[in-house]
Amino acid sequence: MMAFYFSRIVEIFPFFLKGLWMTTQIAFISLFTCTILGFIFGILRSGKNIILKRLVGVYVAFVRGTPFVVQVFIVFFILPEWGIQLKAFQAALLAMAIMGSAFICEIVAGGISAISKGQWEAGTASGLTLIQQLRLVVIPQAMKVILPPLVGQYVLLIKDTSVVSVIGVMELTRVGWVTVMRIPEGLMVFSLVGALYFVISYPLILLSNYLERRMAV
Amino acid sequence: MIEFKNVNKWFGKLHVLNDINLDIDAGEVLVICGPSGSGKSTLIRCINRLETIQEGEIVVDGVPVHDKKTNLTKLRADIGFVFQQFHLYPHMTVLQNVMLAPVNVKKMSTAAAEKISREKLTQVGLTDKAGAHPAQLSGGQQQRVAIARGLAMSPKIMLFDEPTSALDPEMIGEVLDVMVNLVSEGMTMCVVTHEMGFARKVADRVLFMDFGKIIETGKPTDFFDNPRTDRAADFISKILTH
Amino acid sequence: MLADFNFRIIFEYLPLFLTGLRSTFLISIVSIILALVTGTIACAGRISSIKLLKYPAIAYIEIIRSTPLLVQIYFLYFGLPTLGIRVPEIQTGIIALMLNSGAYIAEIIRAGITSVDDGQIEAGVSSGLNYFQRMRFIILPQALGVTVPPLLGQSIVLVKDSALLSLISVMELTRCGQTMTSERFMPTEAFLTVAFFYMCIYFCLKSLADWSQKKLIFREAY
Repeated sequence: MMAFYFSRIVEIFPFFLKGLWMTTQIAFISLFTCTILGFIFGILRSGKNIILKRLVGVYVAFVRGTPFVVQVFIVFFILPEWGIQLKAFQAALLAMAIMGSAFICEIVAGGISAISKGQWEAGTASGLTLIQQLRLVVIPQAMKVILPPLVGQYVLLIKDTSVVSVIGVMELTRVGWVTVMRIPEGLMVFSLVGALYFVISYPLILLSNYLERRMAV
Repeated sequence: MIEFKNVNKWFGKLHVLNDINLDIDAGEVLVICGPSGSGKSTLIRCINRLETIQEGEIVVDGVPVHDKKTNLTKLRADIGFVFQQFHLYPHMTVLQNVMLAPVNVKKMSTAAAEKISREKLTQVGLTDKAGAHPAQLSGGQQQRVAIARGLAMSPKIMLFDEPTSALDPEMIGEVLDVMVNLVSEGMTMCVVTHEMGFARKVADRVLFMDFGKIIETGKPTDFFDNPRTDRAADFISKILTH
Repeated sequence: MLADFNFRIIFEYLPLFLTGLRSTFLISIVSIILALVTGTIACAGRISSIKLLKYPAIAYIEIIRSTPLLVQIYFLYFGLPTLGIRVPEIQTGIIALMLNSGAYIAEIIRAGITSVDDGQIEAGVSSGLNYFQRMRFIILPQALGVTVPPLLGQSIVLVKDSALLSLISVMELTRCGQTMTSERFMPTEAFLTVAFFYMCIYFCLKSLADWSQKKLIFREAY
């Protein structure tokens, strides 16, 4: 029986690869948008404008305080109530962007706060504008603190893409779920799904470990 | 008391101890000096087996240190070790730091351990700091606590690994005073240090090391005033102008 | 849009939400305790020099960390029956949370232990303390200081992770939101209420974590 199921799984393996491709797409687009938005929010969060700072703070607290699956439901079920119609794929990307940016925002703000006030002052004294101080003086130094947890966060984001399977996006986890309904070999099916996730996230884990060791020196 | 026989040690390719032969008598005070990386810290760290050796033998009070059957706990209980960076336990009070080993290694009663610990704290001049945490003390005070911690085990030998190198100049004196005091009690001591005044005053013998080898040994006056080798002369002139 | 937010329906469903909250709470507490045990054992294996303990521990930790929790939950949920093991969904869920958080906790504890300065260990060795005495009197008390805040952080993660158990029909907080949505189709009310309850738990644990961060860290002073 096992052998029979195994050959069935081999038969439908292309279906898994399709799921993997979808996961990769979602992950890649999300990492990209989350990094950009995360940096913008992170800079606002460590800026001087109290109102913006507070707003970002509330947003971050909301995201960190609630489960991602609840956020996915909110985006998918509530936005249509307010007249915003989204396809499952778009809703998935939006939810990922909202969630990921908040976590990256915290990492970036943490990195910026690790830079001493003197560095800003030195920048001001040499006549750099605020943007220049950020771009030329502060961010390059903060990157040392930001990079290791950022890559770690990427791993978490890739894994979190599995949650968008709940709104029917045909990514890897959803493929596993659909398969297991037809081929009742849960261990086999989800070992395969797990192995495919492992293939994309483990190299990043190694990279994050490496960066952590290098930056610690 | 301590005997090195043809001791060799390598860190990878680096030959850190090169054919060391050395005898230290009971009650002797030996000062070891030499440029950084010369193997002097490694030498004394081998005595209580903080470091292993690859060749040769070290015998402390009749016990072969690097023998597999040696009871290390017993051996280490008899040897006090003072580190350059003190290494006091930050989560314990001064008294707890000193009492830890007597209670847990020597299995003394708490009362007996406290009594001897307070005595040793008095000996290093810190009676009133028993309840403080290490972070509340100055560097010199912390190092004196570290010495008391070693003494509380009533050791036969005290080893000092650059005990004053991490201290601000104004605190070096108080630590050296405590050590001079110990010498007058007849303690067997090996001290890695560049404090020439200390060496002249109390050392029975000075040992100069470079590149893992013992280059020169002699009485402090002979060594400092008439070094026999160029390397020793060069080293002495450097620490003098330092 | 928020003008016609229906508070009455929330009050109607409040008893359901409270049972859901209770269930989330219990699941989290049981899972975190089991995960602490798992994590301590895994960490002991991870830092051990015995290969037969070390490599299985590394494999466990790395596999868990590089696959999604949801896949682990499905693996157990659909996989255990294939092995002939039938346990209620809630137990499957707790096992999944325990194994998942256990791996992260193992790494947190390991980081705590390695953060203790080598000199501290040498000082212990020099005074003749044995391995267990060094662990008990020197390493663990200091590691605890740096370990408690991230452990509380992991508990926050675990509470949120328990929401995924709703997908294997465990009747916890998120599942209540799903139930209310399917019965009345009022997703706004349902999921904002769910979010509100999670926020409450989050803020409690967060303030505890911040407080412990200030209180518990010892530093070696030079």
